[in-house]
Amino acid sequence: MNHVAQAPLLSLKGITKRFTGVLALDQVSIDLHGGEVHMLMGENGAGKSTLMKVLCGAYQPDEGHFESEGRPVQVRSTADAQRLGVAVIFQEYSLVPHLNIAHNIYLGREPRRRVPGLIDHGRMHREARSVLDRLGLDIDTHRVVEGLGVAQQQMIEIAKALSQHARILVLDEPTAALSERETERLFEVIADLKREGVAMAYISHRMAEVFSLGDRVTVLRDGKRVATMPAGQASADELVTLMVGRKVDMSYHRGERPACGPCVLELRGASSTGGIRDVSLKVHAGEIVGLAGLVGSGRTEVARAIFGADALTAGEVLVHGERLKGRPTDSRSKGLGLIPESRKQQGLALARTVGDNLLISGLRKLFASGLYRPRQALAHASSMVSTMRIATRGPRQLSRHLSGGNQQKIVIGKWLLAGTRIYLFDEPTRGIDVGAKEEIFRLIDKLVNDGCAVLMISSELGEVVRVCDRAYVMKEKRVAGVVARADLDETNLLRLAMHHE
Amino acid sequence: MNTLVQKIHLAPEQRSLLLRVIVLLLIGAGLALVSSAFLGANNLLNLLRQASLVFLLASGLTLVILCGGLDLSIGANVALSACLAATVMKATGSPLAGCAVGLASGLLVGAVNGLLVTRVRVPPFIATYGTLWILHGLTYWFMAGDTIHGFPPAFRFLGSGYWLGVPVPVFLMFGVLALGTLFLQYTTMGQEIYATGSNTEAAALSGVPVLNRRLLVYMLSGGMAGLASLVFLARLNSAEGDMGEALTLQAVGAVLIGGTSLFGGTGTLAGTLVGALVLTVVLNGMNLLAISANWQPLITGVIVIVSVAADALSRRRSGD
Amino acid sequence: MSKANRVALTASLPRRGLPQLPGVAWLLLALLLGLSAVAPGFASAANALNVAQQATLLLLLALPMTLIVMTEGLDLSMGASLSLCTVVLAVVSLGSGSLALGIAAALLAAVLIGLLNGVLIAWLELPPFVATLGTLGVAQGLALVLAEGRSTSGVGDGLATLWNGAVMGLPVPLLFAAAAWGLFHVLLHHTRFGVAVIALGGNREALKLAGMNERGSLIAVYALGGLFVGLAALLLGARLGGGHPTAAIGMEFDAIAAVAVGGTLFERGKGSLGGTVLGVLAVGVMRNGLNLLSMPSSLQVAAVGAVVIVALVVDALRGQQH
Repeated sequence: MNHVAQAPLLSLKGITKRFTGVLALDQVSIDLHGGEVHMLMGENGAGKSTLMKVLCGAYQPDEGHFESEGRPVQVRSTADAQRLGVAVIFQEYSLVPHLNIAHNIYLGREPRRRVPGLIDHGRMHREARSVLDRLGLDIDTHRVVEGLGVAQQQMIEIAKALSQHARILVLDEPTAALSERETERLFEVIADLKREGVAMAYISHRMAEVFSLGDRVTVLRDGKRVATMPAGQASADELVTLMVGRKVDMSYHRGERPACGPCVLELRGASSTGGIRDVSLKVHAGEIVGLAGLVGSGRTEVARAIFGADALTAGEVLVHGERLKGRPTDSRSKGLGLIPESRKQQGLALARTVGDNLLISGLRKLFASGLYRPRQALAHASSMVSTMRIATRGPRQLSRHLSGGNQQKIVIGKWLLAGTRIYLFDEPTRGIDVGAKEEIFRLIDKLVNDGCAVLMISSELGEVVRVCDRAYVMKEKRVAGVVARADLDETNLLRLAMHHE
Repeated sequence: MNTLVQKIHLAPEQRSLLLRVIVLLLIGAGLALVSSAFLGANNLLNLLRQASLVFLLASGLTLVILCGGLDLSIGANVALSACLAATVMKATGSPLAGCAVGLASGLLVGAVNGLLVTRVRVPPFIATYGTLWILHGLTYWFMAGDTIHGFPPAFRFLGSGYWLGVPVPVFLMFGVLALGTLFLQYTTMGQEIYATGSNTEAAALSGVPVLNRRLLVYMLSGGMAGLASLVFLARLNSAEGDMGEALTLQAVGAVLIGGTSLFGGTGTLAGTLVGALVLTVVLNGMNLLAISANWQPLITGVIVIVSVAADALSRRRSGD
Repeated sequence: MSKANRVALTASLPRRGLPQLPGVAWLLLALLLGLSAVAPGFASAANALNVAQQATLLLLLALPMTLIVMTEGLDLSMGASLSLCTVVLAVVSLGSGSLALGIAAALLAAVLIGLLNGVLIAWLELPPFVATLGTLGVAQGLALVLAEGRSTSGVGDGLATLWNGAVMGLPVPLLFAAAAWGLFHVLLHHTRFGVAVIALGGNREALKLAGMNERGSLIAVYALGGLFVGLAALLLGARLGGGHPTAAIGMEFDAIAAVAVGGTLFERGKGSLGGTVLGVLAVGVMRNGLNLLSMPSSLQVAAVGAVVIVALVVDALRGQQH
C-alpha cells in the first residue's frame, strides 16, 4: 500500500528542544503516515525519547511546530496530544502499583456515572476486559498491578495505549521485557493496527524488529535527524554507521581463550527467598558462563542468591570451596561483585560523584586502616576513569549527568577497584547504545583473560551465543539445562527456556 | 548574590556554606545596628554558649539524617539522661559517676532507636517518636515532679565555666566539629554513611554494611544527646522532668538551616554549626528587642522554610 | 513472595465479604477486654458514648491524615492549626458579636494553612516534614500572638449544641464523624481525586503522563486536611466554650499514630480508612481507660507510645517481609 501521496496523520517540523546546557533536539522533523510503522533508531542520548516526549505533549519544544494532516496544530500539553489521537507506550512504566489493572488502563479517563459524577466501576472493568482479551491476556482486571511480572506490566501498558483508540501510537522499545510469545502477540496487534490505518512511531534497538516490522526508518544522532529511508532499502551496517557516525567494529566475537582454570564459584541445590528452587551451577576461572531464560524465570534471583542479597532457604554457595555467609559484605570480601539490572536504582548513588561511586566497594581493600585519604581516592578514581574510558569531566562530576553506558562503566569499575575476581552481570548491556555495548564485551573479555570468572545474565540470546563459553538455562525458577560450547546457539537455548504448552 | 558567589569557583557544598555564613553575618550586623546590647561581650559569650548546646545535640542528629534516618527523641533523651545523671551525682557526690551515667543513658537510648529501625524495621519517624513518648513518661515518673538542685562546682564548670575567657561548651562544640568532620570525611565509615544515606539499596549491593552503619549513627546521636544533657545540666544547675522540651525542634532547625537534606546523603557538620548559630542569633535578637516569646515559633518556622526552599530552588536552577 | 497470588485489598475494590482482620482490630479487642477487666467504670454504655464522642475530634484529623500519608506526606501542623482556629473562632465571634462570622473566619484560616502546606510541598517541593514543621511554627506563633491579652472564652451556647446536642439520641459529634468517614470513603474509592491520591503515593509520573494535574491534586489533599482541621476547631471550640492557643498541641501525632496503627503507614498505597477509624478508637480507648485508672497524663502519653510501637512491631513481624 502506498501512503506517500496522502498527507501524514501527524508531522513534527523543525523541532528544537534545549535543556540546561544540552541541545537535545536540533531541527528534527518526522512524518507519521497512517498504516505505517516508522522506526526510530539512534544511540542512547541521540534524542529518541525526547522526541517522543515532545510528540505526546509531555515536553514543549523551544522551536518548531506540529501539523495534523497538513494543517498546523498546537500541542501544549498531554491532553492536547491525546485529543489529537496520540497514545504512548512507555519504557519506564507509567503504572500505579497499588491500583488494579482496570484503574491503570483508565487512569485519568475513568468512566463516570452521569449523576453524581462518581466512577462507574462496572463499566470500567467491562471495557478493560475487552482490551485485555484483544491482547490475549488472561488476567483478572481486579488484580493489583504491583504483583504482576515485568512482562505482564508491559502488556498492561500496551493495553492502556490501545484503549485510547489512538490514531497515532508511539512505542518505546515495547518488546524489551517481553517473552517470544508475547512479542508475537504484540506484532499481530501491530499488524491489525496497520490495517486499520493507525500511524506508529516505534523506537527499537533490535535490528530484527526494524526489518520485520518497519516500513520506514529514521536515524537520529546527537539530536539531529541524519537519515530517513524506507526499511527495505536499509542495511544493518549502514544503519549502525549512521547511528554512530563512524565505522563500528562489530567484529568482537568469542576468541580462543586459554583453557579455563579451577571451579571458583559453585551453587549446590540452592533455593532462596527470591523463589529459585534447587539450583546448581559452576563457574570456573577464565570463563564466561551465560544464564539465559525467559523473563521471570529466576535469573536475577540466582545472581542475588549468590551475592547474598536474597537469603538461602536451602543449599549453599561455595567460593573456592568455602561456604559463603550469605551477606553482601561477606560476598564482597570474598571477591564477588554484582552488577545489577537497574543501575540507577541499585548500582549507583546518582547524587554522589563519579569518584565516590567508584570507590565505595573498594574502601575496605584500599584503605584497610579505616582512614580515608581523599587525595589517594581521587588518584584511584582518575586512573579507573581513564582505564575504562568513562566519558566524564572527572571523578568530581555528579554521576547522574553521565549517559547510561558510562554509568554502567562506573558500576563495573567500582568492582574492579575492589579487587573482584568473580563478576555477576545482570543484563550488562540493557539500554546501552551499540558502541558502548561492544566496549563492555571487550571489557568482560579482558576480565576473563586475566583469570576472573564471569556469570552473565542476558535476555538477548544472540548476545549469549556471541559472548559466552557455555550457558545455563533457567525455566520457572529452576535450571532447565546447560548448553556446552559446541551446542551453543539460539535455538537450543530457546528450546530449553520455553514452556511446554 | 548567588551568581556572584558562583563566579568564585567553589564546590556546591562550599558555596552553600559560604552563603549561610554571609547570611549569618548579615543578621548579626543588622542586630548590632538595631540593638546596642548585641555586641556586648556578655551577650556574645552567652550566645555562643547556647549555640554550643544546640550544636552538640544537632551534631548527632546530622549524622542520623545524613544516613537517611531521623531522630525525634533527642530532646527527651536529654531530659532523661540529665535527670539520671543528676540523681546519681546527688547520691554519690561524684561528678564522674554522673557523667558516666548520663553518657551511658544517652547511648542506650540511641541503641534502642537504632535497633528498632534496623532490626525491627520500624520507620524512623514512628520509632523515634514512640521512644520520645516513652522517655518522656519515664522521666516524669522517675522524677515524680521533684527538682534536683545544686551540683559540685567541678561539674558545673562544664556548662557555666570559662577557659581562656571563652565558655567551656564552645570548646566542646569545636572539638565535636573537628572530630565529627574528621570522622565523616576521613574515615571509610564516614564514606559509607554518606553512601547509605544517598542510596541505601545501592550501598547494600555494593557491600556496605548498611544496617550496622545505621545503628552506629543512632548510637552516636544518643551519645551526643547524653553529652548535651551534661552540659545542659551543668548550666542550669538543676534537673526536672520537663527540661529541654524546646531543644529537639531547635536541633532539627539547626540541621535544616545548615543545609543538610532530609533525603540523606548531603550535608556537613560545619553547616549545622552555622545553622545553630543562625538560630541562636535570631532568638537572641528577639530577646534583646523585647519581642514576645510568642513570636519565637513563628519566626523559627519561617526561617526553616525559607532556608530549605532556597536550597530547593537553587538546586533546581542549577539543573541538578 | 506470593503477592501475585493474593487478591490484595485494593483501595478501589468494593468489599468482597469479610476482609482479613488487620492487626489494629486485634489491638482494639485486646484493649477493650483488658480495660473492661481492670478499669472501673470502663465497660458501660455511658462511658462508651463518652469515648466515641472524644474520639470524633481525632477522627476528623486522622481521616485527611490518612490521605496525606498515602501520598507519602505528613502534616505536622494540624495540632497547632487546630489551636489557632479555635482562637480565631473565639476572637472573631467575641469581637464582632457574630458567631457565624467567627465560624467562617476559623474555617478560612484552617483552609489557608492547608493551602500553604500544599503550595510549599507541591510547588516548592519542600519535604512535607520540613514544610509542615514550618507551618506548625507559624500557626503556633500566630495563635499565641492572637490570644495575647484577648478574651477567648464564653463564645456562647449557639456553638455548644455542636458538642452537647443530640439528634435522635445520637450525639452530634458522632454524626459528624460518620458523615466524615462516609465522605472520605466516597472520595477515595469513587472519584478521580481518590485515584489521584493513590497514584501520588505509588507513581507520580503516571499522573502527569495521564494528563492529570498532579500538583493540583497534592495541594487539594493538604487543603482538605485544612478544611477538616477547621471543622474540628468548631467541635473543639464548642467543647471548650472558647478558644485556646495550645489546646490541641501534639494532636497531629495522635492522628499519625492512629493512621499508622491502622495500617496505612507501612503500605502507603493501600490506605485503609477503616483501619484509621479503628486506630482512632484504639488511641481513644487507651486514653480513656488510663484516665479511669488515674494514670497521670505524661505516663499516659508514654503508654500510648509504647502500645503503638508494639502494635507496629507485631504488624511488621507478622506479614511484611520488606
